[in-house]
Amino acid sequence: MKWYEVISKIDRRIIYILLTLFIILPFFVKVTIPQNVMPQTQKLFDFVDSLPPDDKVIMIAFEYSPQTMPECRPMAIALLKHCFMRNIPIVGVSFDPQGPGLAVEAFATVVDELNSTALSREDSIIYGEDYVYLGWKSGRLAAILEMGESIKSVFPRDHFRNSVDSFPLMQRVRNYKDVAIAIILAAADYPLDWIRYAQTRYGVKVGVGLTAVMAPKYYPFLQTGQVSGMMSGMKGAAEYEKLVFEHGYATELGTAETGMNSQSMIHLLIIILIILGNIGYFFSRRKK
Amino acid sequence: MSPDPWIWIGAILTLMIFSFLFKDNAFYKFGEHLFVGVANGYFIALYWHNSLKPNLYDQLVAGNFIYIIPLLLGLMYFARFIPKISWLVRIPIGFIIGWGAGISIPAYFQAEILRQVGGTIVTPESFINPLNGIWALIIFIGVVCTLIYFFFSKEHKGILGHTSRLGIIFIMIGFGASFGYTVMARVSLLIGRIQFLLGPWLGLIK
Repeated sequence: MKWYEVISKIDRRIIYILLTLFIILPFFVKVTIPQNVMPQTQKLFDFVDSLPPDDKVIMIAFEYSPQTMPECRPMAIALLKHCFMRNIPIVGVSFDPQGPGLAVEAFATVVDELNSTALSREDSIIYGEDYVYLGWKSGRLAAILEMGESIKSVFPRDHFRNSVDSFPLMQRVRNYKDVAIAIILAAADYPLDWIRYAQTRYGVKVGVGLTAVMAPKYYPFLQTGQVSGMMSGMKGAAEYEKLVFEHGYATELGTAETGMNSQSMIHLLIIILIILGNIGYFFSRRKK
Repeated sequence: MSPDPWIWIGAILTLMIFSFLFKDNAFYKFGEHLFVGVANGYFIALYWHNSLKPNLYDQLVAGNFIYIIPLLLGLMYFARFIPKISWLVRIPIGFIIGWGAGISIPAYFQAEILRQVGGTIVTPESFINPLNGIWALIIFIGVVCTLIYFFFSKEHKGILGHTSRLGIIFIMIGFGASFGYTVMARVSLLIGRIQFLLGPWLGLIK
């Protein structure tokens, strides 16, 4: 077998082993590949950072699923830390049936971490006062539209079956007029519905945290201003983690930032494999 | 290593699914079938407790008999299994299509056509920042050339041929960006699993 045939017919199992090695190595060997913050992530961070504390709420829609947790969960954790550290109240919702469990887990992780260092009740994050998770609702188009008139009519009870009227936070949140921005953390096309209905009809600002596969579709909305900021994939999550860390809202970087070294190594490997495959193809065609 | 049995179950199921990379086998099949079963059970329970029970069952029990209408509409979907009355399925489908079209068409037109067309228009304000002006021009040229590529009523020759070829270049750049992002997404999922195996399960990384 000629050399160009060898490089164009590498066994897929060898590629899998190489992929695994390139992912594992950066966790044990100190590799630091610098990550730049993209403008769309910076824009989202700056918007959240500019909001006055204890004023309008940020609505976070948890629309990701367990299989996309490596991309979307770090976004949720970094965003929750940012909001809680700045005393910006949060209202969580989900229209993806897989969202509730992951939303509750993300809230619990951040609230437990922040409350473990709180010195007083004022420093603590309290459910019903600082945040509320309203849970899952079917029929999202009608729900997104109706929340423009009344959030309570769509979610009369929260995820834990408590009446929303019992929460001090929900006394001052009636509809989208009390929402500074709706940030959709999604693994499917849920943000489109927020853009079509909440943004276009009610003028709500929409930010998005997406899996990387979805990101190219949302650049046009970013360019027209229909989307006010975007985190795309693990890189977007790592960028937000970095911003939150650099501004002192977190004491350590998250899982996305540590995963990005592996990501960069894998990209290098894939670029090399694509080049090798093309060289092999080019030479085998010339010989024919 | 983790003492938590749930972490062990997660790790073993992950390895069962990964075993497909070598070749199809009984462990992979077990993991796959278990996932389908668990997912179905989860969705049925969720829809019953969060949708059907509060929105239909509880309402009927409370005496709100107007909810019989959506119940009947829902039941009509099952009419397709009985050939004699299978035509009844057209009623709920017609209802859904009518409602869906009414709610979607204006929103889609406003958000994805009018606003997007507006975003491609180059105005003198686009050049307040020269770099933004250049990007606005590139977007304008890209949109026009790509649209010309999909204009099939005239043979792509002369000026039409040149612009449609430029359109192909823009389309290819779009495909390249999508492919790059797809690679990043898939690798991210693998990194997430490896982080889980090395961290919570084996305790080798933080």
